[in-house]
Amino acid sequence: MKRKVLSLIMAASMMMASFVGCGGASTGSGDSAGGTEASADAPAAELTGIDKIIAEAETMTLDELAKKAIEESNGKTFYGVGNSSRGKTALPLFIEYLQGIDSSYSMEFEWQQPKNNKIFEQLTSDSLKSEGTFAMTLIQDGNQIQSKMVDTDILKTYVPKEWAEANGTTPDAYEGFLPLQTLNKVFMYNNTGSAEFTNCWDFVAEGSHPLFMGVDSEIVGKNFLMMLTRDDYAKMLKDAYDKLDASQKSYFDPTIKAMESEASDLGLGADAKYSLAWIKLWINSYNEQTDDGPICNTLVDKSAKDQSGLLVYSKLRSVEESATVSVNNINVAAYQDGYTGIGGYGYCHYLFLTKNSPLPWTACAFIAFMTTTEQGFDAWGKDMGGYSSNPEVAKAIEETYHHSEGGGDEFPAKNDRGYDWWTTDGQLVLEDPAYCSEVSFTVGSWIDVQDHYSTGDEE
Amino acid sequence: MTKAIFKNKVKTWFSQPQNIILLLFGIVLTFSTVAPIVAIVQDTMKIHPGTIDQHLTGQVTGYTLVNYVDLFTSRLAKTNLWIPLLNTVILSVLTCFISILFGGLFAFLVTRTDMKFKRYLSSIFIFPYIMPQWTLAVVWQHMFYSNKVTGTSDGLLAAIFHIYFPSWWCQGAFPSAMVLGLHYAPFAYILIGGIFKNMDANLEEAATILDTPKWKIMRKVTLPMIKPAILSTILLVFGSAMGSYPVPHYLNLTTLSTKYISMNSMYTGEASILAIIMMVFGVIILGMNQMSLKSRKNYTTVTGKSGQLTKIRIGKIGKYLVGIIFIFITFFTSIWPILLFALETFLPNPGDYSFLYTGNLAHLTTKWWVTNENITENGMYGQPGILYNNTIWHAFFGTLFLAVVCALIAGTIGTLIGYAVAKKRRNKWANYVNNVAFLPYLMPSIAVGAAFFILFSNERINLFNTYTLLIIAGVVKYIPFASRSSLNSMLQISNELEEAAIIQNASWIKRMTRIIIPIQKSSIISGYLLPFMTCLRELSLFLLLCTQGFILSTTLDYFDEMGLYAFSSAINLILIVTILVFNTLVNKLTGASLDSGIGGK
Repeated sequence: MKRKVLSLIMAASMMMASFVGCGGASTGSGDSAGGTEASADAPAAELTGIDKIIAEAETMTLDELAKKAIEESNGKTFYGVGNSSRGKTALPLFIEYLQGIDSSYSMEFEWQQPKNNKIFEQLTSDSLKSEGTFAMTLIQDGNQIQSKMVDTDILKTYVPKEWAEANGTTPDAYEGFLPLQTLNKVFMYNNTGSAEFTNCWDFVAEGSHPLFMGVDSEIVGKNFLMMLTRDDYAKMLKDAYDKLDASQKSYFDPTIKAMESEASDLGLGADAKYSLAWIKLWINSYNEQTDDGPICNTLVDKSAKDQSGLLVYSKLRSVEESATVSVNNINVAAYQDGYTGIGGYGYCHYLFLTKNSPLPWTACAFIAFMTTTEQGFDAWGKDMGGYSSNPEVAKAIEETYHHSEGGGDEFPAKNDRGYDWWTTDGQLVLEDPAYCSEVSFTVGSWIDVQDHYSTGDEE
Repeated sequence: MTKAIFKNKVKTWFSQPQNIILLLFGIVLTFSTVAPIVAIVQDTMKIHPGTIDQHLTGQVTGYTLVNYVDLFTSRLAKTNLWIPLLNTVILSVLTCFISILFGGLFAFLVTRTDMKFKRYLSSIFIFPYIMPQWTLAVVWQHMFYSNKVTGTSDGLLAAIFHIYFPSWWCQGAFPSAMVLGLHYAPFAYILIGGIFKNMDANLEEAATILDTPKWKIMRKVTLPMIKPAILSTILLVFGSAMGSYPVPHYLNLTTLSTKYISMNSMYTGEASILAIIMMVFGVIILGMNQMSLKSRKNYTTVTGKSGQLTKIRIGKIGKYLVGIIFIFITFFTSIWPILLFALETFLPNPGDYSFLYTGNLAHLTTKWWVTNENITENGMYGQPGILYNNTIWHAFFGTLFLAVVCALIAGTIGTLIGYAVAKKRRNKWANYVNNVAFLPYLMPSIAVGAAFFILFSNERINLFNTYTLLIIAGVVKYIPFASRSSLNSMLQISNELEEAAIIQNASWIKRMTRIIIPIQKSSIISGYLLPFMTCLRELSLFLLLCTQGFILSTTLDYFDEMGLYAFSSAINLILIVTILVFNTLVNKLTGASLDSGIGGK
């Protein structure tokens, strides 16, 4: 009983710990996204296999786990799979760390980064074997993780003890997936022309065609649109709409009115008509591109007058100044004085063990290494726009790399205001796997039937 | 007694190598062609957790027809099926038209006229086929896009000359068909050229003597003669264009292939139905080809080599003028993309040609080549420069290995099949083996890749991201190159030659290595060269079977999608140089080359 009370208290404190980001706390709007309920409800002694190992690992420190990992994987090959290629950079650092404990330790590794959503099929196929190939995964798209990986018991959440402590909770009390980091995609626009974007509704105004990867190319983009229909984000859109002047409102009003019945049919809240209107106009107007890289390349060029886009913030680091290209050719919308409304969206890279992990202790140690040490997160932390889910690691990374002043006075757009700012003032829309999964075939299907813009439509 | 006769019959039957070849490959190819189809059909009915079929049935496992019902009747049917299907047909037909018109005209000029610069033009004309098809799409974007029309930054023509091309020119069916048409025009050139080259000019001359107008000679004599080659080109190009994923993806056209990829996550079973539809097209085309084969019997004069081939004179100036015009055209289709690739690897940002506007060469950089550390600034995304990039070089050697193995296996199997089918040309089983070997070529690559993924990524066997899987898929897909080439050439060899050797007690191996192969060396080698070359830059087939850095084409695509055009351009250059080196080597060693072999010389 005491344990349950303690768990409740810790869960409440965890919900307040905003650093956990997307997928952290259950929103109450659907089933829990948790992957650790089994380990929370049942004593470790009753668990078997991977669940038992996870339950035990959740009581251990990184150093203790490291010893287990050395015993388990010395001389073996570790296979990981992920949406981020940086796992490949982090693994050698992890091996180096283990070698610091036992100099005779060695481990080969292979890190795969499948394409086109194949990570889910690959993990599903691998899960059918008695012992899998992949020890762990670093994966994005909470919606599909929930429905294809967690609901089917293919992936298992392990919550490192020290990570939980840093977030003011315990592994037992924490419900949700374990995020390594939150990444943000933010609204930006080319400032060499005269167009102004002072409100998130400006991106869906008449004649505006923001560059965007497209909801079919990258499902996290669709998750973002689905998230907009949740009550809190719907209210953000309504508040932003309320600040528009009458002439601007008159353009959006017919669409908003038309969405009233749609919102009701979809079982959404009172403000959802604003969400649906924004989503509809967005899909009707965005100019689809293959990746955020080309979007960034376009927007920083001075010829891209008045163009806008929704893209990964960290892409700005890759721009080299030249006669026609400059970071100063773009503005981050949310950084501009007087900007109103959502500034973009955030999605997470989550860490999981596979249910048939061939090296579970090593996988747990690697996950703990990435989420509880600065060195472990360094592969991602050296770039702006990616925020560790561990506040202590995030702080250490900021002290090392000074992302908040990365652009200085010369390139203000590159001064990353950080996770706290983005999730409050920046009004970042955070992905909630449980909510996305719940509305995937209601709001999601409604999104699918909307007409997409293609260049020439207005000719 | 009867038993002894039967035994003898069996013994005699097995003593003929062609029977063993047909039996063996008939069984193997039936499995390798039919099994993926069965796997993908099964996938259309399977319930996939977390996808639409689970949502509609409320079950997480089992089988259902709900995917068919939803795909054909839901309110998304137009978006997910009918529009992509229409676009696919338009794209395939337009691509065939462009490739036949461009390739056929060029073949005519090279083989039947006294146009100048033929040698150079003939080599350069096949370059677009050597290059991965979507790289031409990227070049198209760089040339014609503009802020005004496509809502992006300005391409070269907009930036320098302020020329703004209309939207239909920049994106959609037209540019996709143009790019694919240019890419496959070498097929038309080689197939149609092969016939033009061997065509007896007596027929045309007879018509001329009878005072027949030139247009009528073309319509009534020349065109019917090349009809089989045109049909063969359609056969090869239609299926390839239909299964192309990257070109419509880059040029913003929704086809069955692009829809297959985009639907795969949430509408997995329905995506498999799209793959089945693409396969059905393949079967229909094969059936049409069978019908055209019958009609080919009416054009037997085409097979005889004429000693009276005369060249049409296009005038003293004309022969230079036409040559120069084609030098100009092929400069933009073959040389310009390579120059752009090379240039791209020295630009500070992808597509940033500011050195052209400013005239300042200091705006060029060597960072993409020589950066020797893991940095994320200046567009490097943590990638070491090309010269130090292990991912690129690992993928390069992996691709080389894959291409060599695929070419050796597919080439050998195809040659043997061609030989055996030619030997038993009226046998029904031989015809079946011939067709079943050719069928995978007509199935869109993306669908074949999807089928192999489903087949070899399951509980019992998981070959995802292994060379084994890529080799299996590659061999099955590329056997048709070799079998076609081999069959055409073997049909030209009289049985008497081999019979004479049999009388001399020469073994089958000896007959093959001393007589058959040396005689048709050129065609047989092209049966190895084509799979090699195609495999090097294949994307659609391997897209679903391996990870991004596993082979060069997926690595190239990865860099392209990320916007790291310097890297993808460098990979393109590496591919082109590799293919040219191998082609030259083979040409020097054997006398065969790409532009002399596709249709069988």
